[in-house]
Amino acid sequence: MALLTLQGISKCYQQGELQVNALTDINLQVEEGEFAALVGPSGSGKTTLLNIIGGLDTPTQGQTLLNNMDITGMKEAELSNFRLFQLGFIFQAYNLVPVLSALENVELVMVLQGRTVEEKRERAEHYLQLVGLQDVMHRRPSALSGGQQQRVAVARALAAGPRLVLADEPTANLDSENATALLDIMHRLSHEEKTTFIFSTHDPRVMERAERIITLHDGKIVSDEVLQQHHDQPTI
Amino acid sequence: MSQRHSHLPLTILFMLAWRNLWRHRRRTLITLTSIAIGFGLAVLFIGLGDGSHNSMIRNAIKLGEGHITVQPKGYLQAPANHKYLTDGLSLSAKLNELNVSGSIAPRISLQVLASTANNSVGAALEGFRSNSDQRKDMLQPQLIEGNWIEAGDHRGIVIGDGMARKLKAKVGSKVVLMAGKRGGDSQAQLGRVRGIFDSRVDELDDYLILSDLQFAQYFLAGEGAIIEQAPVTRFAVFLDDPDTMDYWKTQIKAVIDNDSIVALDWQEMMPQLVQFIIIDDAGNYVFLILILIMVVFGIVNTVLMSVLERTREFGLLRALGLGRQHLLLLVFCETLLLSVLAVVIGWLVGGGTHWWFSQHGIDFSALMPEGTAIMGTFMDPVVYTELSWDRVTQLTVIIFVTTLLSGIYPALKAARVTPVEALRT
Repeated sequence: MALLTLQGISKCYQQGELQVNALTDINLQVEEGEFAALVGPSGSGKTTLLNIIGGLDTPTQGQTLLNNMDITGMKEAELSNFRLFQLGFIFQAYNLVPVLSALENVELVMVLQGRTVEEKRERAEHYLQLVGLQDVMHRRPSALSGGQQQRVAVARALAAGPRLVLADEPTANLDSENATALLDIMHRLSHEEKTTFIFSTHDPRVMERAERIITLHDGKIVSDEVLQQHHDQPTI
Repeated sequence: MSQRHSHLPLTILFMLAWRNLWRHRRRTLITLTSIAIGFGLAVLFIGLGDGSHNSMIRNAIKLGEGHITVQPKGYLQAPANHKYLTDGLSLSAKLNELNVSGSIAPRISLQVLASTANNSVGAALEGFRSNSDQRKDMLQPQLIEGNWIEAGDHRGIVIGDGMARKLKAKVGSKVVLMAGKRGGDSQAQLGRVRGIFDSRVDELDDYLILSDLQFAQYFLAGEGAIIEQAPVTRFAVFLDDPDTMDYWKTQIKAVIDNDSIVALDWQEMMPQLVQFIIIDDAGNYVFLILILIMVVFGIVNTVLMSVLERTREFGLLRALGLGRQHLLLLVFCETLLLSVLAVVIGWLVGGGTHWWFSQHGIDFSALMPEGTAIMGTFMDPVVYTELSWDRVTQLTVIIFVTTLLSGIYPALKAARVTPVEALRT
């Protein structure tokens, strides 16, 4: 059973007097543990699709099934809880709460989940260590570099124990060295934690590491290519 | 760990709110300073108002008929010379048994015609124990000529400078005092001016004649009173602690036990003064409202700016799973903390200002060269601010609630943030 199934997903929205079809009839399945990239030029619908998968936006038509749950018809509060317990997010920038330290940022989602103090602290320190930030965990985001901030975001996304991590252009604001380091971490952790990653990107460095590339153009999937076996599934 | 709804412990909520408050330290400090100054001004003005009012009340009570007055029923509505307490002696004994914390002064009030060879004027004759009544403390220092009435001086009178001018009288002058009797006759007594005072209150200086109690009792005898029963118009009760007035009024009413005698407090005796104070107080509260409006705008501006600047951050928090209600609570907590700080700092500024002026006062004599007489009493030229605990509580609650309510709109704005729109900013 696929972790994520999109059936006939379309998204239209009104832009002034113009009706814009951001997505048209998207059908997609993503298996557990995949490290997949949504690629395409600007305006192809990558971010829209990611938002729909993440329950941040609702499709005009179609159905989204995640972990056997149809999230399409969920009310806002249900979606909010769903995101909290099932998903992790990494955004392009401004990922962190500025008034919290790196450690507190990683703990934040676990606070909302209601985990115990000990469990939060243990997991937060563990994941910060995995991303190599154990020495700066008490610093606030303003005292961290862009690359370090993105690594904290990765730690936060994984520490909460999600089934699926959605990353929207996570390397867009990073230099080559930091971008490569970040991708290596995410790739490694996806295998170690068996967590599914879906990126939206037009960064070739990301595409190189993706095990599956789903190409979008004008809101439609134009190609879906498995480049390498992920740890559990054979090549299609 | 079972799947539940998101929850945000209060400790984390307040920690986030506190840290958010100090993100823009300068802006927060400016907002707090403006609230503190506004609040400080409000405290000063309210304190000045209360101080001047209390000064007027104290002087009115001293110059008037005390905190509580025991007099014939109907006298307040229609004063008349023939209305008096016939058996002042036994009523005085009953009142003395109460051991009132203060003093009880017998007094006689009569409407008379005062005449000299030069002129005649209507006047109020007030008879009292010249050596012990509160009036002595108030008016003896105001003497500008002559002396006070000695105890046992049954003919001596003291008049105001306004009356002296009208009668063309001076110290030593004879003044005939004539009063009408019930039934239409009149009676007269001869008084001799011992002293002339200037109280700065026209109602007293132009109209009042003071005498020893026994002199005034001659007139009551003319009305049929028995002097051995010590008839008086009223007993004026002066309390050491004005806050005990209601208690003593109840006690006095219980011992009177006579439907034709009433015990009235100063508010009932001087309703115009009460009205004046109410209206003046209303003016002070208008000023307070203006300050509150400024405070509200200041807070709404600060908190709203802070919310709008954090749209994307709120979007991130919503994306992570924070509920709308938590965002609303977060912004509301920021306002709550701002309110608490504002009240504390406001009281440091306002309370400090009040303390200073409660000790040193503000001298208004330069602003009121013709004296400070108002509504039949007078305000001391140096006003000391006064604040009761009731007033302190009232001002604190008003400022706190106002600042808190100011945060409602920004909190609602924050709660309305949708993740997908916010993350696009």
